[in-house]
Amino acid sequence: MTTVKPILLAEDNPRDAELALAAMEEHHIADKVVVCRDGAEVLDYLYCRGIFSSRQEGNPVVVFLDLKMPKINGLEVLRTIKNDVNLKPIPVVMLTSSREEDDLAQSYALGANAYVVKPVEFHQFITAVKELGVFWGVINEPPPEGS
Amino acid sequence: MESITQERPVEPEPVQSEPTPDISPAPIPKTGGLMEWFTHWSIERRVLAGFGLVFAGIVVIAAISYRNTSVLIENSRLDTKSHELVQLLGSVGQALDAAESGHRRYLVTGDESYLRPYRNLAEQMPEYLRFLRGLTSEDPEQQTRVGTLERLIARQLGAEAEAITQREKHGYQAVRHLALSGAAKTELEGIQRLMMELESAEQRSLTLRVTQSAGSTRNTIALLGLGAVMQFFLLAFVYILIHHDVTERRRVAMELQTRGELLQAANKELEAFSYSVSHDLRAPLRHIDGYAALLSKSAGEALNDKARRYLQTISDSAKQMGQLIDDLLVFSRMGRQDMLRTTVNLDQLVTTVLHDLRLDLQGRTISWTIQPLPNVLGDPAMLRQVFMNLISNAVKFTATRTKAEITVGATNRSVSEAEIFVRDNGVGFDMQYVNKLFGVFQRLHRNDEFEGTGIGLANVRRIIHRHGGKTWAEGVPDQGATFYFSLPLARAPR
Repeated sequence: MTTVKPILLAEDNPRDAELALAAMEEHHIADKVVVCRDGAEVLDYLYCRGIFSSRQEGNPVVVFLDLKMPKINGLEVLRTIKNDVNLKPIPVVMLTSSREEDDLAQSYALGANAYVVKPVEFHQFITAVKELGVFWGVINEPPPEGS
Repeated sequence: MESITQERPVEPEPVQSEPTPDISPAPIPKTGGLMEWFTHWSIERRVLAGFGLVFAGIVVIAAISYRNTSVLIENSRLDTKSHELVQLLGSVGQALDAAESGHRRYLVTGDESYLRPYRNLAEQMPEYLRFLRGLTSEDPEQQTRVGTLERLIARQLGAEAEAITQREKHGYQAVRHLALSGAAKTELEGIQRLMMELESAEQRSLTLRVTQSAGSTRNTIALLGLGAVMQFFLLAFVYILIHHDVTERRRVAMELQTRGELLQAANKELEAFSYSVSHDLRAPLRHIDGYAALLSKSAGEALNDKARRYLQTISDSAKQMGQLIDDLLVFSRMGRQDMLRTTVNLDQLVTTVLHDLRLDLQGRTISWTIQPLPNVLGDPAMLRQVFMNLISNAVKFTATRTKAEITVGATNRSVSEAEIFVRDNGVGFDMQYVNKLFGVFQRLHRNDEFEGTGIGLANVRRIIHRHGGKTWAEGVPDQGATFYFSLPLARAPR
């Protein structure tokens, strides 16, 4: 492995983002994380456009996607990713506060790879994010580039 | 939740300003005891009464018309008879006259040929009399007259036969005096008088019958007219009743539809509301807890015990509120969620609930009594929640007992419903607070005694109510509590 593939974290709430980063720091995977603040930024990153036009080519190892985001919400981003041949293989994990059945059903219907409800309790939250980061960023073998 | 539905700009609804729809009593002005009594009747009864009266009217009119028509037919039959009688009387009179004058001529001349009318009469008399008797058979007075007539005619014929014999034996001189006045003068006079009486009596009864028939016809026509008017009003009344009822029903149906639509809109909004609660309220709580944890981690060494306790309290409060929100969302979902109705095996349900609770039971000594439970009709997931709440409550409130006893069972008090109870020997409660038990956020114990959000029993009640059952409880402080609920029984498989 020459380049470390990044983890893309789509989170509009800076505090949630900070807490997530704090969690991943414990496992030294925080530096791999790219944070996007809304759905439009996520798509800009994936399509290498806007502020990400000069970024290094390649898909992230995993996308952690919040449902409720400004501009373009999580479900719309998910639909775009899963309808694009090049982006489709990227694992997408919904990381959200919502437990609503509708959200769960729609996410899976659109092709989400996992659905995680953010625990209120910090320790549980940290554990969840850490485990997610370790699993998808380290343990899980990502799809081969250009597949 | 209330405020949301009210905030919504609602278009003017005339229906809402009206009181609850009343379907049955029509606003009929009170005109007395009878009317008041009538207004208490249901619409079905009133319509039935109206139709009953119409039907009774038809029966009465038909009966009276039938009777009157029968009288008319009978009278016309009697009239025919009377006319025949009068005619017959005429013929008999002529025959008598002819016979008498022929007889006298014979007495004078001795010519046998003059006796032909007399012999004819004698021959035909029995026939005539038979007819007369037949035609007067229904009038006893006339019958008596016919009887007398018969006797007189017999005597006349007898006297005349006697005179013929005298003439044959002794010649004209023997019967000369008879030839002038007639052989049966007195009888003939009597006969003529009787026949006149017969005729005039018959004419009298004819006139009487004509008057009677005319009266009867008038009555029938009047009755039919009056009946038609009455039927018309009765039917109009019934029509008004039905019409009123139908418009009322239509109005209520429309109102229900409007309310249903409003309710649906309110429900949608409630869903959006709880979605926001679920998403937005949770985030700041996570931050409070998270930053408190980060703070205690990064400054842990520098903090004194007091400051660390403060941080812990912040963290605990955030967690508690998170739990409250979760419980409230479950409670709200329980009210909106679609409900299944299948046969639920409660024995199995209780077994799985106890299995799920095994972690909470670690380090506890509980003597369980699980009685056989019936199969009920309901939603398995919801009923599982009921047992989960009640049994975990029993476990929670017996925590202070060295030997906890928990019983799950069914009473057999009703044949149509299952009555299930969960009994414990825990801290119990004072019966004066029994009404607060099943309320949302109602707690009978301080949080430092027993943890909880006060949602569990409210959820139990909501689920049981949605199943059409009831919940109630009995308790004695420091001795234990029993929670009951009823559910519709599943039909035994045939």
